[in-house]
Amino acid sequence: MNAAKPKPGKKRRGGVWAGQRRFILSVTIPTLLYAGIGIFSLAWALVLMFFKYSPGRAGGPILGLGGTNPFVGLQHFYNMMTGVSKHARLFRISLANTLAFVFSVVPLNLMMTLPLAALIESVRNHHLKRLFRAIYFLPVVASQVGVAMMWGYVYDPQAGLLNGIVRTLGGKPIAWLTDPRATFLGMPVAMWSVILARLWSDYGYNMVIFIAALQGIPPTFREAARIDGANTWQVFWKVTVPLLRPTLLFVGVMTMLDAFQIFDLFQVLTNGGPRDQTRVLMLDIYYNAFRYQRMGWAAATSLVLVVIVMGFTLIQMRVLRTEWEY
Amino acid sequence: MMNKHVLLSILTILVVLGLAACGPAAPPAEEPSEAAIELRMWAHQNEAFNMGYKTLIEAYQAEHPNVEITLETFEYDTYIQTLATAMPAGEEADILQLFGTWTSEYAERLAPVPEDVMAAAEAQGLYYAAPIGGFIVDGVLYGLPQEFNCEYGGVLVNKTMFEEAGLAYPPEWDTMEDVLTDAQAMVQEDADTMTVAGFHFTSSDPASFSFLAGILQHGGDYWNEDGTGFTFNTPEARETLQWMLKAVEEYGVVDPVLFNDEENWVGDAFFEGRVAMGYIGTWAIAEGKVNYPDFEYEWDYFWLPSMEGDPVFAADSGWGLVVSPNSEHQAAAWDFAKFVAADADNALSWNLASGTIPAIPEVAESGAMAEEMPWVTKALEILPYGTYLGSMPDRDLVIYEILYPHILSTLQGVETVDEALEMIDNEANATFE
Repeated sequence: MNAAKPKPGKKRRGGVWAGQRRFILSVTIPTLLYAGIGIFSLAWALVLMFFKYSPGRAGGPILGLGGTNPFVGLQHFYNMMTGVSKHARLFRISLANTLAFVFSVVPLNLMMTLPLAALIESVRNHHLKRLFRAIYFLPVVASQVGVAMMWGYVYDPQAGLLNGIVRTLGGKPIAWLTDPRATFLGMPVAMWSVILARLWSDYGYNMVIFIAALQGIPPTFREAARIDGANTWQVFWKVTVPLLRPTLLFVGVMTMLDAFQIFDLFQVLTNGGPRDQTRVLMLDIYYNAFRYQRMGWAAATSLVLVVIVMGFTLIQMRVLRTEWEY
Repeated sequence: MMNKHVLLSILTILVVLGLAACGPAAPPAEEPSEAAIELRMWAHQNEAFNMGYKTLIEAYQAEHPNVEITLETFEYDTYIQTLATAMPAGEEADILQLFGTWTSEYAERLAPVPEDVMAAAEAQGLYYAAPIGGFIVDGVLYGLPQEFNCEYGGVLVNKTMFEEAGLAYPPEWDTMEDVLTDAQAMVQEDADTMTVAGFHFTSSDPASFSFLAGILQHGGDYWNEDGTGFTFNTPEARETLQWMLKAVEEYGVVDPVLFNDEENWVGDAFFEGRVAMGYIGTWAIAEGKVNYPDFEYEWDYFWLPSMEGDPVFAADSGWGLVVSPNSEHQAAAWDFAKFVAADADNALSWNLASGTIPAIPEVAESGAMAEEMPWVTKALEILPYGTYLGSMPDRDLVIYEILYPHILSTLQGVETVDEALEMIDNEANATFE
């Protein structure tokens, strides 16, 4: 049937022919089904967070809610902030660790990747440029579990590469992942160890984005600055970086979103230890939901995480937004 | 208008389907006795355990040709998640391997053992007190234990390291100080870093259960009088923790910073040659044999003397079998569970395959056990002293997030004994709220 020509007596509805309507339905229905599953899961979590729910208890007649899975209202949120139970304390520890991790990883990542991207972009030989890009991007394609296991061997206190270097230099080996007394700049060494592993595995991704952004800046701006007597650093800091603000916003938001949701690196490398010093919110949610069967509490923690992430994202977007383009 | 109706209809169907999926499963149907029966069984992944199950499944199927049992196994953490998601949906297997101490958490979703299969009193007469204790909740029996999970008192011993250190072998320990003295002689270091621990007791299970045993052996208890709360801040607990600290600080038998659950876990570290004496349950023996077939040292398993007086200790029940109330073939499922866990010959077969201590005294005292697993025979004197850990509101939280972290922090020098005991007492009692 030719959708362009309606049958006699048939009209278009809302500017859409019958054939086009069929196409739209065939695309939107699967999309709605897929979205429906996600929305259903979200809705279920939004319900659970007001109950003291464990899947091991049968609870009430409607979806297991009520009865031995009682309604507690906002009690979970209140306990998170003020409670003295172990779960409440672990939540606050996890929150602090998560914020420390995110606000270390994000600036360090940007400080590493942008100059690196600028350096690579300054290489004139195209083959070399592509080679460097590929080498630095390789860790990104590695599985995070594989990365964690590899870094676990590097950090091994007895046979690891790092302590081998320390011994060669005459120093005392360090238990990078398990010594609760070791700190650096006020943060546990175990946390720094995970940060280093994360930076190594992730910097290639932002570097590639920055390279693309740098290539998009018209050279006339830099040339004009040089003509006005600016040196390389001044060109970079006063011309290139401001022009990269939209990219910085994107990279900053995406890196922060990722950092808030890191799970596998922490679980494999440290499992939250030593002494909960690397226990982050995602680990806390996982253990509460699947080890301790405290689904209601885990759902409430998840909401707190979502609100925090949204809050910081909105702040970033407000601070870094631009109203110009080139 | 028509499109809106179609979309609304689809969304309504989705919601209805979703709610229906969350509804209770259909009640079990009565099946003729000789009709084909298919049973699913779930267990966590432990090669030694599951080899034992497979042998018994084949034997049962040979006796019951109309029954087909499919064993599905899951990695440990995934197994817990699978139970948590399948049970509310009524999708769990007919037969479930369950750890006894978990029974109180899952009791509402389990089928009680029918009286004609085994009454609670009969079970208490058949099994050791600790294993069966976990499967009885409020006087109702929910499962049949297969092992006596004894995390207290047993150590893997590297015979080669003993002999290289010039120590008497087999060791004859009258007191725990004798153990520490031997351990001290086997410690190895490289540039101030401990490369071989003399006595690795700082993983979660041994540290926690030896702490509980120490309290009991010093004449105290960690439960209050009516069992409604914990009492961890006591002179007996203090004495026990101070003893553990002495083992680390004065005897230097282990560096708890380098040897703990996350680094050099005792089961792996022993079979990698980094531990001379590793404190761990007998279940690790079979696992070690399977995972480290080329382990080059000679080794054996011994039992430690008590800290003081009789070797009373708390035991964590053990793995056993339970049946889902949603199973369409509960009678067949219980019949298999009883075949595996209550028949002495079959229970022996599984215990030998899995390297676990039997839950049934008759099996533990058998000649076959003495020949194949002599360390179990050595344990016969202390097994009757084991008492069930007790129905804690959240056993995993108390053991792994409260007891162990604070014990380890004390041994690592981050907390004092008094600080640790106060926090343990407060946090453990908060689990009752």
